[in-house]
Amino acid sequence: MLARRTLARVGSQPSALGAAPTNARNMATLREIEMRLKSVKNIEKITKSMKMIASTKLAKAQRAMQQGKQYGLANSEVFQHTLAESESKRKLFIAISSDKGLCGGIHSSVSKMTRRTFIEQKETLEQDSPIMVIGDKVKAQLSRALPQNIALTFNQIGRDIPTFADAAGVADLILKSDVKYDSIVIVYNKFVSAISYEPAMVEVLTENALKESPGFKAYEMEDDVTKDLAEFSLANAIYAALVEGHACEQSARRNAMDNASKNAGDMINSLQLKYNRGRQAAITNELVDIITGASAL
Amino acid sequence: MSATWRAHFSFNKYSQICARALRQSLKEGERVQAEKRGLTALRYQQWSNGQGGEQVYLNPPVDEAPKKSAAV
Repeated sequence: MLARRTLARVGSQPSALGAAPTNARNMATLREIEMRLKSVKNIEKITKSMKMIASTKLAKAQRAMQQGKQYGLANSEVFQHTLAESESKRKLFIAISSDKGLCGGIHSSVSKMTRRTFIEQKETLEQDSPIMVIGDKVKAQLSRALPQNIALTFNQIGRDIPTFADAAGVADLILKSDVKYDSIVIVYNKFVSAISYEPAMVEVLTENALKESPGFKAYEMEDDVTKDLAEFSLANAIYAALVEGHACEQSARRNAMDNASKNAGDMINSLQLKYNRGRQAAITNELVDIITGASAL
Repeated sequence: MSATWRAHFSFNKYSQICARALRQSLKEGERVQAEKRGLTALRYQQWSNGQGGEQVYLNPPVDEAPKKSAAV
């Protein structure tokens, strides 16, 4: 009997000890919930304002894209009949994206596409084909996956709407670098609609490919001018890809921030509910204590 | 058709120089707007053997450098 009682006491003691902390924790959770509620509210404010900024920038970016795309379209029209004679083995990849994050998967879609091309075209593509990257995020991703292939990287583009000066600078640096390649492939995000985008590739002909192509020979251009055309068309293609990628980035950021604020709103609701419930329970408990105390007198 | 500039720089550089000259000859109001289109803060980095080199400015910022450090 006595033994059982002591046993029971031993058994109950930890729970009695544990009761105080749970009670204390209960109080703490109320405060904790309050603190979490506050921080989530702050996060919601931030994501909401980022969304607002992104949507105003998106309108501007879309306008710039519509104008900039014309360069790309005109550019590709010139080369419609001047297809390269043979499939080139050594391609120069130019991955185009930007420096900033918090905009969904636009950076990884570009780097994934680049990596996939390397894997899929194992036979036809030289495995040490050079890669050039515009944008810090894709640089970080590709420097982990294909560090040996990276030849040049650029950044500080795409903070604002890309200018043709950016594209011309990039094109000149690419042409000046002594990297060997037969053709140029630009990997960028294609703008499908305000809520969707997809990675795409565009091929740009080099000077030598132009000279050898039978369709281009019909124009009987001088060599000097052909070189200019090849350089300018590379800058054009880069510019078109840059503005399109910029518009994609803004739309992706707007959507990401929209989702984030929606999630934050859900979280605020559930936390508010939890907080109110906990508060009510604490009040009821206190009332019960007071009433039982009063009735015991 | 073949000009002397060909020996020194590319067509893109040539077109940029022409564009800058045109922009600077515009009227005050339009010039400010147009000059924004010629700005580039491009920086590049040479890679070799999987290692990145130093970040180099294409057009080193001359006036903006002190302003930037104050903002940060």
